Amino acid sequence: MHPPDELDDYLRGGTPLSRQYQSESAPAPPHALDRRVLKASRQAHDRSPCLAPLAFAASVLLSMALVLAIVFGPQTVKHGNDAPRLVRTAARADTALRLYSSDPLRVRAPAAWLADIAAMRRAGHTREADAEFRRFRSAYPGYSTGAPANPP
Amino acid sequence: MLERMEPLDEDARLMLRYRDGDTAAFSALYSRHKGPLYRYLLRQVRNAVLAADLFQEVWSHVVATRARYEARAKFATYLFHIAHNCTIDSFRRDLRAKRSSRSDEADAQALEPEVPEYQRPDGIAEFAEQQSALLAALGALPHEQREAFLLHEETGLTIEEIARVTAVGLETVKSRLRYAIRKLKKSLLPAHLPGVQPLRAARDLKADRLNAPA
Repeated sequence: MHPPDELDDYLRGGTPLSRQYQSESAPAPPHALDRRVLKASRQAHDRSPCLAPLAFAASVLLSMALVLAIVFGPQTVKHGNDAPRLVRTAARADTALRLYSSDPLRVRAPAAWLADIAAMRRAGHTREADAEFRRFRSAYPGYSTGAPANPP
Repeated sequence: MLERMEPLDEDARLMLRYRDGDTAAFSALYSRHKGPLYRYLLRQVRNAVLAADLFQEVWSHVVATRARYEARAKFATYLFHIAHNCTIDSFRRDLRAKRSSRSDEADAQALEPEVPEYQRPDGIAEFAEQQSALLAALGALPHEQREAFLLHEETGLTIEEIARVTAVGLETVKSRLRYAIRKLKKSLLPAHLPGVQPLRAARDLKADRLNAPA
C-alpha cells in the first residue's frame, strides 16, 4: 500500500516536505504570555522554599496530638470517676448549710464557730443558725457566748 | 510510557536545576521550547486563544510538578506528553460543550447574522495560519496524523519518542505518519517535489518547440 522507503526517507530528513514546512511562518507565543509563564515560574519558587516539609511536620504533630487527646484525654478520666463524683455531690447536698461536724475530732475553735453562726444569722438563715448553735452548745457546753450568736 | 532510562539531555539538566531552585534554568528551558510547543498547540487546536490557554496550562503543569520531576526521558518527550494530554482534554471538553449546546446553538443561529470565520476574533490567527496550501492540508488532517507530523517536525522526536508521547504503539505512529506524509505531499507545489521540476521543464520545452514559429 505504501512505498517501503517513503517513511524512512522522510525520517532521514531534508525532504521537500520538511523543507517546505520549515520555511512556513513560525508563529511564537505573544510576549505577554512569555512574561506570565516566567513570572509564574519564579513565584512558585519564591512562595515555597521550605514550606512543604514544614507543613508536613506540622500536620504530623497535629495528628499525633489529636490521637493522644482522644486516647488519654479528660473524657476518659471523667468517665471512670462518674460514680464517686455523684456520691460526693449527694453528700455535699446533705450538709449544705452545716458548717461544722459534731464529731469532737473535727470541731473547730469556738470563737470562729460562733462568728460563722452570727454570719448565718445575718444572712437570714435563722433556723440553720439555731441548729448550728445547738451543735455548738453540745460541743462547748460551758462556753460563754456573745449576744449575736445566741438564739433569740 | 516514560519509564525507559536515557542519558540526560541538556534540557533535562536544566529542568533538574529548576527543580532545585534555579529559576534562570527555567528561562533557558522555556526559550528553547516555547516556539515548538506554541506551534504544536496552535496547529493542533487551530485557535489562537485556545492555544494560548493550553500553552499556559502546559507550563503551569511543568512548574507545579517540578518537585516530582525525574529525568527518565528526553525533556521534550516529557513536555509534549503533558501538551498531548492537555490537548486531548481540551478536545473532550469542546466535544461535551458542543453536545450540550447543540440545541441552544440552533436557536442562536436563527437569531444571529452569519459572520465569516476569518472575521471572528478567534479565527483571525487561525485564518492567517492557513494561507499556505501546506498548512491548509495540515489543518485538514485527522488530529492524530497531524500530531505525529508536528511532533516530528517541531521537536525532532523519533518514532519511539512520538509513541511514548502519544501513548500508542510504534506501528500506529508509523501508520499515522505515512498517511500524513502522503496527504501533505499532494498539497506541495510541483516545484517542491523532486523529479517533477525537470519533467515539467522538459514538457514545457517540448510545447515551446511545437508552438515556435517555423
